[in-house]
Amino acid sequence: MSRLKVAVVGAGTMGTVHSEAYREMADVDLVGILDIRPEAAQRLAARRETAAYTTLNALIQAAQPDVVDVCVPTYLHRQVVEAAAVAGCHVICEKPIARTLADAEAMIRVCQAAGVKLYIAHVVRFFPEYRRAHDLVCDGAVGRVGVVRAMRGGAFPVGWEDWYANVAKCGTVIVDSMIHDFDFLRWCFGEVDRVYAKSQLGRDMVQSDHAFVSLRFQNGVIAHVEGTWAYPSGFYTELEMAGAKGLIEFRSQDAIAVHTQIRQSERAHAGVQVPESPLVKSPYQLELEHFLECIRRDVQPLVTAEDACKALEISLAALASARAGKPVRLAQTPNTTASVQERLTRGNQDD
Amino acid sequence: MTEYHLGVGILSFAHMHAYTYADILRRMPSVRIQAVADFDEERGRAAQARFGGAFYQDYQALLTRDDIEAVIVCSENSRHAEMVIAAAQAHKHVLCEKPMATRVEDAQRMIETCRQHGVKLQIAFPVRYCSPLRRLKQTVDAGRLGRIVAIRGTNHGQNPGGWFVERQWSGGGAVMDHTVHVVDIMRWLTHSEVREVYAEIDTRFYDIETDDCGLLMLEFDNGVFASHDPSWSRPQTYPTWGDVTLEVVGTEGITRVDALAQHLNVYQDQEGRYQHVFFGDSMDAGLLTDFVACVRTDKEPFISGEDGLRALEVTLAAYESAQSGRPVRLR
Ligand SMILES: NC(=O)c1ccc[n+]([C@@H]2O[C@H](COP(=O)([O-])OP(=O)(O)OC[C@H]3O[C@@H](n4cnc5c(N)ncnc54)[C@H](O)[C@@H]3O)[C@@H](O)[C@H]2O)c1
Repeated sequence: MSRLKVAVVGAGTMGTVHSEAYREMADVDLVGILDIRPEAAQRLAARRETAAYTTLNALIQAAQPDVVDVCVPTYLHRQVVEAAAVAGCHVICEKPIARTLADAEAMIRVCQAAGVKLYIAHVVRFFPEYRRAHDLVCDGAVGRVGVVRAMRGGAFPVGWEDWYANVAKCGTVIVDSMIHDFDFLRWCFGEVDRVYAKSQLGRDMVQSDHAFVSLRFQNGVIAHVEGTWAYPSGFYTELEMAGAKGLIEFRSQDAIAVHTQIRQSERAHAGVQVPESPLVKSPYQLELEHFLECIRRDVQPLVTAEDACKALEISLAALASARAGKPVRLAQTPNTTASVQERLTRGNQDD
Repeated sequence: MTEYHLGVGILSFAHMHAYTYADILRRMPSVRIQAVADFDEERGRAAQARFGGAFYQDYQALLTRDDIEAVIVCSENSRHAEMVIAAAQAHKHVLCEKPMATRVEDAQRMIETCRQHGVKLQIAFPVRYCSPLRRLKQTVDAGRLGRIVAIRGTNHGQNPGGWFVERQWSGGGAVMDHTVHVVDIMRWLTHSEVREVYAEIDTRFYDIETDDCGLLMLEFDNGVFASHDPSWSRPQTYPTWGDVTLEVVGTEGITRVDALAQHLNVYQDQEGRYQHVFFGDSMDAGLLTDFVACVRTDKEPFISGEDGLRALEVTLAAYESAQSGRPVRLR
């Protein structure tokens, strides 16, 4: 199985990003784009020089994809993932794995029973700045870690039927966006012991959302995670990891390698500003190539569907904490992820 | 006509801010440092040599001088109460280093005694005089951000060592040292009091008896929520001592402030690291100018004993929350 046929479901923001990445891959055929809105499917399919579909049955029969990449809103992940799995397709699905744990667990079961792979697109593990930070901190570059700070966000996201503004469908900035950092931090530090959160949930949140989450890991690390959809514009990420022997800082604003300003003209009305941090391959392409490679070689991915479930558990605990105003303890599972603590202990013995 | 000078005494150089304050006071034409006092004779004599005036090992003796109208108290945190109360009883106006005390009862007695004796009590929260934060305050007060929804603060630093990490003198570590400034600014911006505090506190960076890191989650009376990180988490190679940052999220916009952003990056091979050299306004000068003006014109201090007490209450509630694992309700 060298060439793979991939179809993208959902022609919104992420469907656009994923389909672009597939077009960059020499050994992948993008065989179709599916959206329940015909014009959205056709528009994106035309841009990507592929076929447009409006039902999964038609797509699977006509295009026979090996892999279905699910980019529909979170609350619809389960129905699309299960239908694709039952049809015998491997599945890549956007994060969060689902809106509820019950949905997430059902998806994993159905994919297992159908004998297909399920990969959840926790793309932050493929962002080179986060990957570098992870590797450094796990190699003991800053010694024993004390306090970590992560920030992510910008303007309120625009989606089909304004689904991002619906708590039952999306789960607020905590489930949709901060889950990136929860997954990343869990990759670095293992399991979370307790969560305490403050957010706009339950206060007024009209096209605005902001949250602070305090995490205490089983290994003692304290983390502050900030998620925002309250900025008037832009998108920003920040990461800071402080240890007994050093500190790692990252700010997306400081990593803008190219600043362009276009003078106001007939073509560019408002005088456009374009900040860029260009890379040969986007993190999305790296991520999707990795998942396809795992299918080809039948090996474990860098992030599993079980990891995605754990990240969702942290998000849901934060949501529960924000609602109740109380800290929430996570079910005690032993630390399974690559334990920084162990490696650090080893590192500390060296000096 | 002889020119009027405000006579000032400095009570203890235990806190390093005493040197900064004394330097500023010495350069103010209307102020004269008449005397310094320090339990530590060597430290006190050295300060006397640098700043002039008389030296007393016993601060009570300093307080008997008639040519001193106001004192600056920069002793160890847990000694503030005794010194401020003695100064008030001797009818001296007081500028007290933060945190104003280590116990609520002490802070209350300090406020009460100053009130009884009709002397000013100002708490050293110089961050209120930081120009970028003043600009933030104007932006908020002008309503440009709409209604405030959330505030995120940091006041990172390094372990100062010495009595700061001896609980008996400091009352606590990073959380005691680095919470009050930012909580004071949050109260100032929101015109509201902290209702509930949740905190994680630990010792993870140094081998010391006090805490060195923490994270506070706050809820204000008016529904604003906030977080604050007071950790001594800056490594030795960090280009400056730490930071004071604030992000205010409003319904109409956001403002981010980095109080130390106005700096040069300076690279010197002999230092073995690069450093920030700050070029912004001195907030300590703003604090002292205001204190001196309050005394001279008999104006109520802009930062009161109550402000110090409220910030202390939040700090102590954070310790209580970290102990119990539960949010602590203040009001
Ligand atoms: N990894 C990231 O950085 C990232 C960023 C944004 C969004 N996401 C995730 O990606 C997913 C999609 O978000 P988005 O911003 O692209 O949403 P979107 O609203 O922009 O697009 C969703 C699209 O799905 C279509 N759709 C709805 N129901 C469908 C169905 N049953 N079958 C086919 N198409 C259907 C809609 O018509 C719409 O075009 C969400 O789970 C979101 O959390 C991830």
